[in-house]
Amino acid sequence: MSAYKKKNENDISSSSSGSEVPDKMSIYQDCLKTFNESPISPKKCRLLLAKLLNILTLEGYKKSFTTSEATTLFFSVSKLFQHQNNDSLRQMVYLVIKELSSISEDTLMVTSSIMKDIQSGDNLIKPNAVRTLTRVLDETTAFSAERLFKNCIVSPDSSVCSASLVSSYHVLPIAETTVKRYGTEAMQAIFTPKKVSTYNNNSSSSSSNNNGDEGGSKFYPQSSYMSEYHAFGLTYKLKNNDKIALMKLIQNDFNSLKNQFLKVEWIKVVGELIYKDSSLFSNFEQLLYNGLYQSYEAVKLEIAKLITTLIVDNIAPVNDQLFGSVLEVLKQFLVVPRTSTRFASVRLLNKLAMVAPTKISVCNPELESLINDKNRNISTFAITTLLKTGNSSNIASLISTINKFTHDVSDDFKIIIVDAIRTLSIKFPNEWNVILQFLIDSLKNSDGGIKFKNSVVDCLIDLVQFVPSSKESALENLCDFIEDCEYSEVLVRVLHILGDYGPTASKPSLYVRHIYNRVTLENSIIRSAAVVALSKFVIINGGNNASADPTLAKNIISLLENIKENDVDDEVRDRSAVALECIKENHPDLIKSSKTFDLSVLESKLTQYVTNHEFDSPFDTSSVPQYSEDERRALELKRKQDEINDKNSGDFSSAGKKSKKTDASTKNNGSLGASSSNTTFEQRAKIIHEYTEKLYEASIIPSDGSSKFGKLLNSCGPVPLTEPESEFVISAIKHIFQNYIVLQYNIENTLTDSAVENVQVEVNTNTNKTSNLVFDSSTIIDQLMPGANEQCYAIFEKTSESIKEEEFSNILTFVTKEIDPATQQPFAGDEGFDDEYEFDPLLLTCGDYLQPLFTADFRQDLSKLSFGDSCVYNIKENITLQQAVDKIVLNTNCLPLENTQFIMDESEKHILKLFGKSCLNDDIKIGILIKMIKSSKGIALKAEARSNDQELCSDLVNSLI
Amino acid sequence: MTTPTLYTVSSYLILDSKGNRIYTKYFNPPFSNKDSIITKKNNTNGEDEEEYNTGLQTNLKKQITFEKNLFKKTHKTDSDIIIFEDKIIIYKEYADVSLYLVSSDLEVNECLLQLTFDGIKDALELILDNGLDKNNIQEHFDMCCLAIDESIDDGIVLEYDGATIASRVTSPPTKDSAHINIDLSEKGLLSAWGFAKSKLAERLQQGL
Repeated sequence: MSAYKKKNENDISSSSSGSEVPDKMSIYQDCLKTFNESPISPKKCRLLLAKLLNILTLEGYKKSFTTSEATTLFFSVSKLFQHQNNDSLRQMVYLVIKELSSISEDTLMVTSSIMKDIQSGDNLIKPNAVRTLTRVLDETTAFSAERLFKNCIVSPDSSVCSASLVSSYHVLPIAETTVKRYGTEAMQAIFTPKKVSTYNNNSSSSSSNNNGDEGGSKFYPQSSYMSEYHAFGLTYKLKNNDKIALMKLIQNDFNSLKNQFLKVEWIKVVGELIYKDSSLFSNFEQLLYNGLYQSYEAVKLEIAKLITTLIVDNIAPVNDQLFGSVLEVLKQFLVVPRTSTRFASVRLLNKLAMVAPTKISVCNPELESLINDKNRNISTFAITTLLKTGNSSNIASLISTINKFTHDVSDDFKIIIVDAIRTLSIKFPNEWNVILQFLIDSLKNSDGGIKFKNSVVDCLIDLVQFVPSSKESALENLCDFIEDCEYSEVLVRVLHILGDYGPTASKPSLYVRHIYNRVTLENSIIRSAAVVALSKFVIINGGNNASADPTLAKNIISLLENIKENDVDDEVRDRSAVALECIKENHPDLIKSSKTFDLSVLESKLTQYVTNHEFDSPFDTSSVPQYSEDERRALELKRKQDEINDKNSGDFSSAGKKSKKTDASTKNNGSLGASSSNTTFEQRAKIIHEYTEKLYEASIIPSDGSSKFGKLLNSCGPVPLTEPESEFVISAIKHIFQNYIVLQYNIENTLTDSAVENVQVEVNTNTNKTSNLVFDSSTIIDQLMPGANEQCYAIFEKTSESIKEEEFSNILTFVTKEIDPATQQPFAGDEGFDDEYEFDPLLLTCGDYLQPLFTADFRQDLSKLSFGDSCVYNIKENITLQQAVDKIVLNTNCLPLENTQFIMDESEKHILKLFGKSCLNDDIKIGILIKMIKSSKGIALKAEARSNDQELCSDLVNSLI
Repeated sequence: MTTPTLYTVSSYLILDSKGNRIYTKYFNPPFSNKDSIITKKNNTNGEDEEEYNTGLQTNLKKQITFEKNLFKKTHKTDSDIIIFEDKIIIYKEYADVSLYLVSSDLEVNECLLQLTFDGIKDALELILDNGLDKNNIQEHFDMCCLAIDESIDDGIVLEYDGATIASRVTSPPTKDSAHINIDLSEKGLLSAWGFAKSKLAERLQQGL
């Protein structure tokens, strides 16, 4: 016996000193043997149980033992129940049974032993027994635990009560009715303080650790009243759907609660109620306000969180006093020593900064001091928050503050800062010189790796693209930078930018000199990039436009000739030869193409082409949309603006999450008909693209584009035409072809018990004026099962090119058939009955004929357009300015410029600038300037549009909303 | 806005100075059987698919990668709290072990998470009165397991007061009950008689 014990002790030391995994099978055998001994040795058993736990931890539950091994183990562990009066062993037995129950079979066999302990065991073991009981119950046996659970809930001991409440919470999914029967007891437990027992926790043997501490614990536990928290959690779950009962529960005195977990949960439930019914907010305002002055950090934080989400999601109007107190709390939190509190506070401020940047600025001194917090998350949040509070007047000082701190931080972190600066440059185009200076400084600064330099160059590219006034100065600085840049990759990118933007600058010869310097000094990769850049200068300057400089072109040609003759590298010589040939033969598009493809569409089309093995016919590029330079910039700017918006609304988080979010909302839009203001431009584009694919798939129109339909000019939508909770959820996309208009109705059957057949949308144009649309045909959906989602189409032929507003009235006609619950198919022989369903009319406005277009100088471009028109609106509906702006942007399809699509700081006035072009004719451009004022009576709008097409101009101003 | 729930913690980890596991526990609510349904379905399709489909909470391979990456991200950074893979994580690094408490989502109240973390940490420190280190944890592995079990029950925080948690953890029996000290005083004899009686009853109960 003693020899055995010795061996065991060796085992401990070997397992503790080495990292080697204890031998699984030998422990398995040991367990079977030792647990079946009689009398058993509690010490040895507990040791073995600990080792068993160790194996389960190290090898994972699924991998450690097979089901049959686990079952055998489970059975022999259960033998230990026969050993009475040893709490120390029993507690461990419960833990192991709990762990094994997830992999073992026949766990029910220990139920009676456990129940016996719950009835007669002492208070130390009882909670463990109760919590283990949950793991061995199933749907059919859960009811048998009702009385035990109930008795334990009313027990005066805090741990016993908690254990029972938590266990009841766990079994809710399988035994809600059972738990409901003692719901009253659970609710009473919220307001019944329980006490903590002290235990003689050294089993039956004499205490050796507890030097002289007779019978009691060596620790001095204080009651934390956790059982009240668990009781509240359970009660909430049981009353989840009963708003009145919840309201009654919440009416109880908040201040008398003792447990902070409970208080936080309480606030969460309050939040949930407000979310479901925002009118309740005023009832709770006082509670929340008082809560902010309580002593618990966690409670204050939770209230701040709730109010932040209320503000950010725009659920209820939060008065200034409450908002001010929240900010005060958060401001105090920013300077506490506890990292998690600082972290929580700065995270909330970051969220608030997007909706109310000026109000946040009271925290700016504290935020500035957090820039070099030892926690990277905190400093990042602090910087991005600070930058969001930036406005045109304080950007300069903000940037200089940041500049001071950024020297001793890592590259990753610098990249985050540069990203934040990049959003600033789009947000405040007028402050470009400060931003440019910052970027150039960080570019020329010797520290920072290639990734960092690349991100700075990215940012500069954005600046050059979207803030035209900064172009010259940025390019000149880039020229200086490439004089001593150690990274070829970055250098090549800079050369590329210079090639793209240098030729149209005021002094192209300056750039040519810098680029040619590279040709003489650098490696072949850079030399070839330089050759391409140089040839672009020739194309632009060799042409017939006004700014052309033939002497410069001639000089560059001679440079290229020189390179062609003398360069040592094949590639460089080849490129110069190709460039020279293209210039001579006048093929400028080969060097600098005026149009670029939509890359994502191109990619999907190419994949389709390759997978279908249709190599007999060449790939058709005409079905891929192409963008001119300005269009591409418009799209990119829109995408970036959305990105800012997206980043602002959520936490900054991993890319993975972002894509997940996009997926989720795409799905949502597909089935529910988008609530458009919440989806970003990119998501909408993706949805439209998906539906357009469906259009081709359904072979409504042949995909080669050669048909009578003509080219697809524009697709708009999806426009939701029903409430998201109605029996049919319908949204529509308008596809505008050269000669036709196709309306694509996306119909979802939300009924659970009936299928509909022969589904068709009856579409009528109800314009009183003579319509220029003639109904051509429509399609029928044969069958739409519950939950299914299908498209049906209505096709109209255009009788003239010109744009006319149309209103389509829609009636859905169908045959309803009840579903046989057994087969999930309609009853055989059921003829069903005809029914119809009228839903909202669909509008075709002139906005549907427009596409967003970028312009560098809105004012100047506007003055170039010859026709003008204006219109005044008065919106009586109670919507916010932001909602009005979102609606206008969506209706007009134009590009909002200079960041005017965001309303800053709940202001009452706003100016929105939009620019776009007609999809029928690329030369028809339109700009709109909308001034809006919000008052108590609603929103007053004054829209002024200018365009080079008079009809479009007046049509558009008259159909803004 | 997430609906209020008691499930706020997704795992508790103790890793050593190289990022290897000492103790890990991923919490799964016992009757939200999503994962096990997937597993059942896939058992017929072979194990590889199962591996692919199950999430972090049950998939060992994903857990190990998660732990390694987390360790890499937190080792010697002294940040106390980070956002990692869409979870808020509070941690503390000791000489050769690190403790991690992983929240279930981003909406969790950071202060409460910190309280929970501190509670377990305090309890462990109380139990292992020789200090928190790898050797000590492995030697008292049973007590550490019990302490964590007394603090969090499948994702629900049971208790956050370190002393309360520690007081509920039994220490291992120091001697096997068979080796009882025989005290020959009257009291001792009485207790010996009592012991013999209880032993006999136990045997009889066991059906010997």
